[in-house]
Amino acid sequence: MERPALRRLLRAISDTDDEEISCAKCFDLVSEYVDLEVAGMVGEQTLPQLQQHLRQCGVCREEYEILRDLARLEAEGRAPSADDLRSAL
Amino acid sequence: MKARTNAEWLIALKSDGQAQAAALSDLRAYLLRAALYALYRSRSTLRDFAPTDIEQLAEDCAQDALSAILGHLDQFRGDSRFTTWVYKFAVNAALVAARRERWGRVSLDRLLDTPDLVERIGSFSDTSSDPQRRAFRGEILAAIRQGIESRLTKRQREALTAIVFEEVPLDELARHWGSNRNALYKLLHDARQKLKAHLSERGFDAKEMLDVFSNDR
Repeated sequence: MERPALRRLLRAISDTDDEEISCAKCFDLVSEYVDLEVAGMVGEQTLPQLQQHLRQCGVCREEYEILRDLARLEAEGRAPSADDLRSAL
Repeated sequence: MKARTNAEWLIALKSDGQAQAAALSDLRAYLLRAALYALYRSRSTLRDFAPTDIEQLAEDCAQDALSAILGHLDQFRGDSRFTTWVYKFAVNAALVAARRERWGRVSLDRLLDTPDLVERIGSFSDTSSDPQRRAFRGEILAAIRQGIESRLTKRQREALTAIVFEEVPLDELARHWGSNRNALYKLLHDARQKLKAHLSERGFDAKEMLDVFSNDR
């Protein structure tokens, strides 16, 4: 058995809370969290249940990371255009 | 694409005539950009796709996102920028589609037919030169195996094997089982809670366990 897989299991067990939010609730909150993060206003106490869900759920985390990166690019005026993205594909 | 405040977006989308048509056209453009960006970021999972196929997939995802947004417009609370709120629908649609393309070619039945969680943990080969550390790790692994065998259902064991060990995306396993993302997350949460309680009752601290498997010496 590979050690990374075992560590993933131990990390998941270790970071388990009695109450955790669902993927649907995460989806509901993630845009607010992303805008706070892009504005540099996120700390450990910012939507902690969302942060915990993002550590546990790989698919929600993947969607959050891409949303955050896109929102950041847009806030900086550097969001790629659809044509830029088509050319890059 | 015209820049609008949150209020301007909502007023325009809920109006009719030219103002609504212009807002819908801009919204489509924003969603297409977000879908293209998400698929661009996932391009390693779409290697077999021609660029035109990815563009078509992005168009489809943007359309799906638009339908979802128009159906949920009253749920926008204004706690984020409207564009960030709509982007999440497009990013979600695009990544669900990309994961489906990637994992649709994999037989999850065959993957789930691989050695069970208990066997996998039993096959862990400890290379630490520290006998005390090896002994402690052995105790932890034995306790985890016992917890899995005594407390988890067959479905929970399969889910942990697929998600944690094989890194199957949650939504793809849920789709395979005819379930949904929320239900499968709950199943996994219950399994993690049972294992955490089992280990805690035996005196193992979760963070200490993680630490003893983090560094090899």
